[in-house]
Amino acid sequence: MQLPAAQVAVLEAASADEATSVDALAEATDLPPETVTGAVFELEAEGLVTVSERVDETITLTDEGREYAESELPEISLYEAALEAGADDDPVSMGQVIGASGLEGSAVDIALSNYARKGYGQIDSGEITADSDADPTSDEEASALESLATGDGLDDAEVRDQLERRGLLEISETTVREVTLTDDGVTELMAGLETAETVGQVTPDLLTGGDWEDVEFAEYNVEADAEQFEGGRVHILRQTADRVKDVLVGMGFQEMEGPHVDADFWINDCLFMPQDHPARTHWDRFALEQPTHIDDLPEDLVADVERAHKEGVGPDGEGYHSPWDEDFARALALRGHTTSLSTRYLSGEEIGEIEPPARFFSVEKVYRNDTLDPTHLLEFFQIEGWVMAEDLSVRDLMGTFEEFYAQFGIEDIQFKPHYNPYTEPSFELFGTHPTTGELVEIGNSGIFREEMLEPLGVECDVMAWGLALERLLMLMYGFEDIRDIHGTLCDLELLRETEVTY
Amino acid sequence: MPTVDIDPDELRDLTGHDDVGDEELKDDLFGLGLEFEGHTEDGAFELEFAPDRLDRLSVEGVARSLRYQYGDARGVHVPSTNSAEWSITVDDSVPDERPYVTGAVIRDVSLDEDGLDSLIQLQEKLHATMGRKRAKGAIGIHDLTMLKGASATDTDTPTIEYVGVEPDEDRFVPLDSDAELTPAEVLEEHDTGRTYADLVSEYERYPAIYDDIGLFSFPPVINGRRTEVSTESRDLFVEMTGTDQWTIDKMLNIVCYALAARGATIEDVTVQYPDHELVRPDLSTKTKSVPHKRIETILGINLDPNEVVDLAERSGLEATKEDSEDADELVYEFTIPPYRVDVLHPLDVIDDLGRAYGFNELEPEYPDVGTVGGRHERSRLEDAARTQLVGLGFEDLLNFHMISEAENYERLGVSPNADAYGAGEAATIKEPYSEDFTMLRTWVMPSLLMVLERNTHRAYPQHLAEIGFTAAVDKSENTGVTEQRHVGAVLANHDAGYEDAKARLQALARRFDVELETPPTEHPTFISGRTAAVVIDGEEVGVIGEVHPKVLVEHDLEVPVAAFEFELAALQ
Repeated sequence: MQLPAAQVAVLEAASADEATSVDALAEATDLPPETVTGAVFELEAEGLVTVSERVDETITLTDEGREYAESELPEISLYEAALEAGADDDPVSMGQVIGASGLEGSAVDIALSNYARKGYGQIDSGEITADSDADPTSDEEASALESLATGDGLDDAEVRDQLERRGLLEISETTVREVTLTDDGVTELMAGLETAETVGQVTPDLLTGGDWEDVEFAEYNVEADAEQFEGGRVHILRQTADRVKDVLVGMGFQEMEGPHVDADFWINDCLFMPQDHPARTHWDRFALEQPTHIDDLPEDLVADVERAHKEGVGPDGEGYHSPWDEDFARALALRGHTTSLSTRYLSGEEIGEIEPPARFFSVEKVYRNDTLDPTHLLEFFQIEGWVMAEDLSVRDLMGTFEEFYAQFGIEDIQFKPHYNPYTEPSFELFGTHPTTGELVEIGNSGIFREEMLEPLGVECDVMAWGLALERLLMLMYGFEDIRDIHGTLCDLELLRETEVTY
Repeated sequence: MPTVDIDPDELRDLTGHDDVGDEELKDDLFGLGLEFEGHTEDGAFELEFAPDRLDRLSVEGVARSLRYQYGDARGVHVPSTNSAEWSITVDDSVPDERPYVTGAVIRDVSLDEDGLDSLIQLQEKLHATMGRKRAKGAIGIHDLTMLKGASATDTDTPTIEYVGVEPDEDRFVPLDSDAELTPAEVLEEHDTGRTYADLVSEYERYPAIYDDIGLFSFPPVINGRRTEVSTESRDLFVEMTGTDQWTIDKMLNIVCYALAARGATIEDVTVQYPDHELVRPDLSTKTKSVPHKRIETILGINLDPNEVVDLAERSGLEATKEDSEDADELVYEFTIPPYRVDVLHPLDVIDDLGRAYGFNELEPEYPDVGTVGGRHERSRLEDAARTQLVGLGFEDLLNFHMISEAENYERLGVSPNADAYGAGEAATIKEPYSEDFTMLRTWVMPSLLMVLERNTHRAYPQHLAEIGFTAAVDKSENTGVTEQRHVGAVLANHDAGYEDAKARLQALARRFDVELETPPTEHPTFISGRTAAVVIDGEEVGVIGEVHPKVLVEHDLEVPVAAFEFELAALQ
């Protein structure tokens, strides 16, 4: 019988009496284990060997586990410090014991959460007691760690599970395949085997010399997993931004661009936000320490904006009864919304006068001094869009946003009347979450006030809306912590594993 | 958003709808834009409100709006007032910073505990909103029977006097205290005094209100104990001081409407300034002219003029058609009641009409307006470069623009003043969120190294790139800041080297058809002798090299890193 060299070698190394593992065969034949595995499956298909599988568990210490094996468990350090401080007689303040124990950072929490569980004493209202009967030398978890560190096994399943829960060890499973010769295998072996001429790699010599016609190609295990390969990919949030841009461009919107550091004039005053509005003095704004003020503002526009704030617009207009100061308007800050781009474009300062009808958008970063948490970042992307045309109505606004959100699978948009200083009427937009079915806020919209538009020189209607891109991303992909995605705390693994969408 | 606590039973009493269940009531309130957030400890509704309808900051105002919604009330209602007996005299000594005062006398008040709580809440909410935490307007409510009006010089009417005093000139017993304190002592020793001390501490003279007996109020900080209001009080004196007459007059109107809703009688007060005289409260109505066409275009529907009049009355407004020959030119004059502070423009009237009509009744309609869409050139360039980077095997990143000085400079071995790529004066933030976000990054390399640092447990190679925002102080720019996009890339792997980085940079240059040179240079972030300037089309725009071991160790990296960074605009 003719067989490829690897199969011949495996048959010769295997036995009919006892099962031999793939690793042992690899060692005996001096072939790589994956080649042996491939050969074994081929031989099994030929009926020359049988293959049995067994699952082996291996226990390894994690870095943290190894650290405790070398020194000691934090709860033991805490116990020793507590004894030292006399906590076996009377409760002692926790701060004092922790200080004396030398524990720091997360080790403190670890020690506290295991201390009472393991009977080293009690922790109550900031005080700690120590049970003088406890014996750290007979701590089962400590001895288990020690025995694992020296290479011995661990039989006690309860202790093992506990240590795994604490993240001190990892249990991995490996499949061991064992091979036994069948009667047919023995027969063929007795009859004598010939090695078939096989070729591993297609080489230039083989091709140019014409030998390829006579050779047999060694078979691969084409089912085996290859080594993991990452390659490049676009960041998921960028991809979402691009998707939004695609949709908006498709709906006839042109993209805007402008400064991140801008004068309050463009960010707030042009939006008819009174200078004593809480949002402008509020701490959620990032004012610049340096530079402090913008050099130039268009003089006529400043005068018009000031007049709108003080006197209002139109024969029946009424301004705010709030102070207005140009110096305050010139102060620089990180923009809190990209509406500063809209005011710059609408004013004609960016690309000249814009003739209606027009649609503009941006998907750019804004900055707010909010609390950092799983759903809030200090900087995030705002989707901003506006439509300029004669006689726009609330129905046009509703129709536009329904169309936009439908592109992302968000249907049944609800419009809740709302208040913004720069739009009237104003609406909060709510939509049904595509997977959970919850009603969630998905944006803020309205028709720009005439007090905002008139100073900017706009003589028709403009309706606008804004939405955080991260919110749309989280709705679409169900991410739970935006910090894993956006920023320097990002987890490459998560970015690598995120499913491709389109 | 701010909240207001409303007792549902009181609301039912004041609206006269005893039969409305809690759930129904919540729906009705939602219709007004008051969202139910939960119950207070006393079982009252905690409602979130948008800060436009400040006339709904108490149960009386909410009840008034509900009565319009239920159809129990229509049009504009203005309570009648009795003519003035009392006056407030404004002395020349009043601090320039807080020159304005207003007031009203309220007679025949009957406040139970709930009514008193509601009045106190209204006062607090008005302070927090219109009053801008008492800076713009502050309210003092006094038991009138405890006041002894001095006889004003030129009339026989009783008067109180608004004056300015030296910080330690006089003494009084403030609320929640037993001690006689001077205004300056109140700011130091009294809890409420300390809370509001910043409002007046810079003043040369402190605002004070006197009657014939003496000092009884220290606005905007605290009232005296002598005139404290209780459930026993029958007649009240309401005074307000502030930095703007209109604001305090409007706050006064809201308080007068709330007390009138409880059956009290409003009595005018004469405010005697040195050079003019006002009679307050000013319960006159305002008007706004709104064309019929504008109502129709904003709402996107056709309306019968009678329907407009009906919608107005259901909103607590009144509309009269102005004479016009052409039906297309129909204009209404809307009457706005004196408690409304949010109607600045005819558009605000249209919003009211829309709410009364029910915005949710409107059918959405995609606007029939054709425009051509397109991307900005900057964002197209950025996307094109990103596509190339990804093709070259880079994982695209997105990092924060705010960073700390330590991360941006020190941990990369760069001094802010050095003549090195990435150095330079930073745009800094006045009150940063934390010490990790004190400035805008001047280059992206620090962010990329931070990501490598965070991900040492993840599989290598880590080929990361970011096309990201950077900023630096530049006096020649209008905003004083130059903002640029940089292309930054790092190659971290056990065998990463200069050539790997150079190969990819070359590929980029070739694809964008720009001329790349890399003359040797020195840079503190990179290994000497393995560092070059990135020169594109003859201009130095970046740096390339192998990251210095001291920077690697600083970032807990155990593999070599080759990197480059340059200005995106160079690829144009």
